[in-house]
Amino acid sequence: MKKLLCSVVILSIIFSVGLLPTVGSAQQVTLNVWASPDNADALSDISQRFMQKYPNIKVQLTPISWEVLYPRLLADIASGTGAFDVATWDVMTAGAMSKGFLDLESFKKQNPDLVDPNWDPKDFDPTIWHIAGMWGDKNIGIPFYCNTMLFYYRKDLFNDVKLKTKFKAMTGKTLTVPKTWEDAIDVAKFFTKKYNPDSPTDYGIALMFPRTHTLFYMYLLFFAPYRRSAEGMKKFGALDLDYGDYFTGDKKPAFNSPEGVKALEIMKALMPYSPDPLGSDYGETLEYFARGSVAMVPQWTGVWATFKTSEALQPIDKKVGVAVMPSGRSVSGNWALGINASSKNKKEAFLFIQFATNKENDKTKFIKFGVAPSRLSTVKDPEVRKADPRVDAFLKTIQTQSHRPRIPQEPKLEDVTVGFFSEILLGKRPNTVEELNKLADEWMKILQE
Amino acid sequence: METNTRRIAILMVLPLVVLFVALTIFPFLFMIGASFTRYNLSEWRAPEFIGLKNYIKIFQDDGVKSSVTFTILLVVIALPIEMILGGFIALFIQNLVGERIVRSALLLPMMVPAVVAGVMWKMLFNFEYGPVNYLLSLFGVQKLSWLGDIGYSRLAIIIMDIWQWTPFIFLILYAGLQTIPQDFIEAAKVDGANRWQILRNVELPMLQSLVSITLILRLIDILKLFDTIYMTTFGGPGYATHSFSFYIYKVSLSFGWDVGYGSALSLVLLAVITILTNILINRLRLWEILEV
Repeated sequence: MKKLLCSVVILSIIFSVGLLPTVGSAQQVTLNVWASPDNADALSDISQRFMQKYPNIKVQLTPISWEVLYPRLLADIASGTGAFDVATWDVMTAGAMSKGFLDLESFKKQNPDLVDPNWDPKDFDPTIWHIAGMWGDKNIGIPFYCNTMLFYYRKDLFNDVKLKTKFKAMTGKTLTVPKTWEDAIDVAKFFTKKYNPDSPTDYGIALMFPRTHTLFYMYLLFFAPYRRSAEGMKKFGALDLDYGDYFTGDKKPAFNSPEGVKALEIMKALMPYSPDPLGSDYGETLEYFARGSVAMVPQWTGVWATFKTSEALQPIDKKVGVAVMPSGRSVSGNWALGINASSKNKKEAFLFIQFATNKENDKTKFIKFGVAPSRLSTVKDPEVRKADPRVDAFLKTIQTQSHRPRIPQEPKLEDVTVGFFSEILLGKRPNTVEELNKLADEWMKILQE
Repeated sequence: METNTRRIAILMVLPLVVLFVALTIFPFLFMIGASFTRYNLSEWRAPEFIGLKNYIKIFQDDGVKSSVTFTILLVVIALPIEMILGGFIALFIQNLVGERIVRSALLLPMMVPAVVAGVMWKMLFNFEYGPVNYLLSLFGVQKLSWLGDIGYSRLAIIIMDIWQWTPFIFLILYAGLQTIPQDFIEAAKVDGANRWQILRNVELPMLQSLVSITLILRLIDILKLFDTIYMTTFGGPGYATHSFSFYIYKVSLSFGWDVGYGSALSLVLLAVITILTNILINRLRLWEILEV
């Protein structure tokens, strides 16, 4: 009996000691912020300034890889455990995330005292605000990282007189930064040693067509120019921002068309001039360009920090040029900051995301970390334009970029599509409308489930 | 006094039992229940009982077919190579100069976490800068797309598995060889047996139980292969390197969030592993060996 009593007392002491920090710090709020690695550094920097402004709020930032973040967010909001207060969510997960994130408009109306009068909601591009902030009429996030893909090229090689002469002799055309993907094929071939032994680079272009979500968005670089052309808009109808460029205006697949086939044909045509496109992803293509092995690479904005420190690309202002995507259509990759509807610290969470997305921090995060700006004022700021030569291309790109679906079925559509496209690019399936119809049928099954 | 002691013992063990039930038994029972439901976390609705529909779907799912194909390929190719190579190494390093150092070095791959191994091999197999392609180029071989070609990506996964788990087989068989009484070997030598005859008639029969157990353990592990695929090919290109476990992950956590279907797939995998191991145990008459 005495031993039992001792055990109970010891256990009670252990529990009490464990609870002490919680009881003692009732005034201190800890915000759990889950962020993708793309956003983590900038958010960490912002958190330091936030905690100085609000000493009673501690921000605990957890970077989580892209592959793990989405399932974890979904698991938490589905179970309502409130393990995180704030999170960055990727633009195409909007539909799936919508029910688990707080409606910020309603929240602001209920807590007007928390709203910063200088925050300026009109400073966001309306399309960006929609895709990275809204689902239906619910405001589930604030655009934080307005990512897009730009076309990086070796400026020094494209300006080289000898190479221009050689290119003219070989193709009868002038060597310029490709305006269309068809142009890009000739240029990529010219810069590939296997086809031009005098090429200064091993390959013409670094492409990433791995069997991941990467292939899903890369396809849009080639399909969206057709989808959004005058003929395409007539044929496929107006764009629905929730369904994106993979769909027609009446929410049916658009890629099972001659235009969809042409997009894959161009991708296949470029593959011989790219190092291992089916086995390369973000990291590999970044490295190929950073080491000077390729002449061109379509890539996200975040690569700039790596290019700036790459030995092979110095001096960067002479060696690296940035252009809009050939054929004029990039793809959006926005991240938004949202509040968990099950969060127990909603007011503090709101203060944090409002602070993180204000004008000052939008500018700072771009200049310091290269996190693409969400606000128009940042993009138009002379200091920002001076600090980063990509701003012009960036501004043009976000106004014309294509979009992936944001509906809840997006992950399933994505997986079945990349498997299919991967097999077409491998040559395992024929690239025909009939074959793409099979994929479209899969899509309709998923949408109807 | 004795009752008190027993009560205290039960109290002490109780937290662990509760934890075990909560983290092992309950999830398993939940999984069985979920396998008979339509339960998708992205659909924002309660699970709905659908009977055997998830199990029927397995036989109609092309993803299952391709993942089963690759898994069988792994079992048929990687497993025998690992067994033969591990055994050969265990025999070969006996009484070798520097045996201890070689033995320690051979165990290193097994000690590397699978995720780290995956990252490492991804770098090794890098098309442009990877050491593997560089070494092959010294023999006049053109760069291979290790992670972007159907055949080579499968070969890459097999190589990674052999590299990481042959040491495990080596370790067990090496330990087994150490326990064989030297008298038996000496007696065989006196009878004029050569090395091959000693191996065949003395050592292998004595190692039979260990070989059987190792075979079963590796079979179970290969059927569950996930981490190296996740870190390198992510199941691609196409569906070339989808193992069954990886496909369960895709369905349940990656793109599908289909907990119901994923649970059914998991139970099928469990059933297959259980049946195969029981077949092996029966064929190898393991219970007889263990009784002896």
